[in-house]
Amino acid sequence: MNKSQPYNLELTFPGDIDYIPAVRKFVAETLQAANFSPKFAYRSEIVVDEICYNAITYGCQSLDAEITIQFTIHEDRMELVVKDPGRGEDDDRERLKHAVEGKQVQFPTREQGKKEKLGLEIVKMLSEELDFEIDKNNLTSVRVVRRREGGEKAPAK
Amino acid sequence: MSELKVEVAGAAEYPNTTLVRLKGPLSGAEQAELDRVFENIIQGHPPFVVAEMSETTIFTSSALGNFMNYRKKLVERNGDLVFAGLSLDIRSLLNLLGANRIFRMYNDTQTAINAYRWEKEHLRQATHLSFPSDLKFVPAVRQFVSRITKQKNYGSRDSFRIETIVDEVCNNAVEHGNNTAGRNVELTMNIDRERVELQVTNATNPEKVDMLREMSKSVLNSPQPSLEQKRGRGLALIKMLSNDLRIGFSEEGTSVHVTRLRGE
Repeated sequence: MNKSQPYNLELTFPGDIDYIPAVRKFVAETLQAANFSPKFAYRSEIVVDEICYNAITYGCQSLDAEITIQFTIHEDRMELVVKDPGRGEDDDRERLKHAVEGKQVQFPTREQGKKEKLGLEIVKMLSEELDFEIDKNNLTSVRVVRRREGGEKAPAK
Repeated sequence: MSELKVEVAGAAEYPNTTLVRLKGPLSGAEQAELDRVFENIIQGHPPFVVAEMSETTIFTSSALGNFMNYRKKLVERNGDLVFAGLSLDIRSLLNLLGANRIFRMYNDTQTAINAYRWEKEHLRQATHLSFPSDLKFVPAVRQFVSRITKQKNYGSRDSFRIETIVDEVCNNAVEHGNNTAGRNVELTMNIDRERVELQVTNATNPEKVDMLREMSKSVLNSPQPSLEQKRGRGLALIKMLSNDLRIGFSEEGTSVHVTRLRGE
């Protein structure tokens, strides 16, 4: 017997960039299994890649830090929450805030920092909703919602 | 031309590594300064050195020669010298000079230290996945595990066999579990350089538990899996492909624990 939607998945993996390709492919293949189009799945893969890369680069202070992805698949959308332990640095918080708000602000960071900002702009462009939360223990959660694109129909029941 | 600035520190949160930050040009002219720094490291610091170069502006062939010399001395002390955070231009130049055949280069310090811990300290990493009890998700799950093993430099044959184990265990968990309970299938994977351990847990189907217990007993206790047996072939296949297989039944759930040693 198949479980009906929404489907809830949760994935916890080490804060190690070696895991990102496997994680993003897993999300894309899961979406296709749930009848989302290859295009939707691939764009979601881009979103997962960018958020996980940021989470590992800026959110994992300790070498044993872990990233958690909570992933919910609805008939018309997917919701993704990526959690990292955070570093508690104001720069990281500001970078995230500005990216989510879509502000064009240059941070006095090295070249790599500019790439991260671009990454979150891509996430914003490909998502219907993007927000974040940092709790008092610095646990950072980035939440993304992607809806089926125009012309893409949910499968008939 | 601005001067090279060198900072030496233990890598944050990790005591077995020496981090050397090099800011400015590495033209070869600063050899005396670098000789002094590396001599000091070789004498009294952990011999695994990460040269963090995100703010290095120039890297000449003469400087590369000096670094080859430092690396040689560190390798003699069972250590290594690796580069992290190089700009694309400098990395391309070093590749042209053939330095990538001698030095390992990483995007950032943390990746460099993870690679060291994986190789020298047999770092074990855990991944946990909770997915709906539905067969359509199993292919994505098995490929997820296989991609991790390949990324961690397990051979393609090993990875495929691990993928086969995951496929069989997860299919069994979905087919024979209690799917009406609304509980997900839980997969935990522990991996290090030498082995992969998998644990898959599902909700027990009370109607099938006796049959499953009997079947697993017969497969686990037989020295050679019977190819003529109609039921339990998946379990027999898992047994053939793994080094250790244990199955636990309880009212909470059925749990399958598989260990496979790296073969290649």
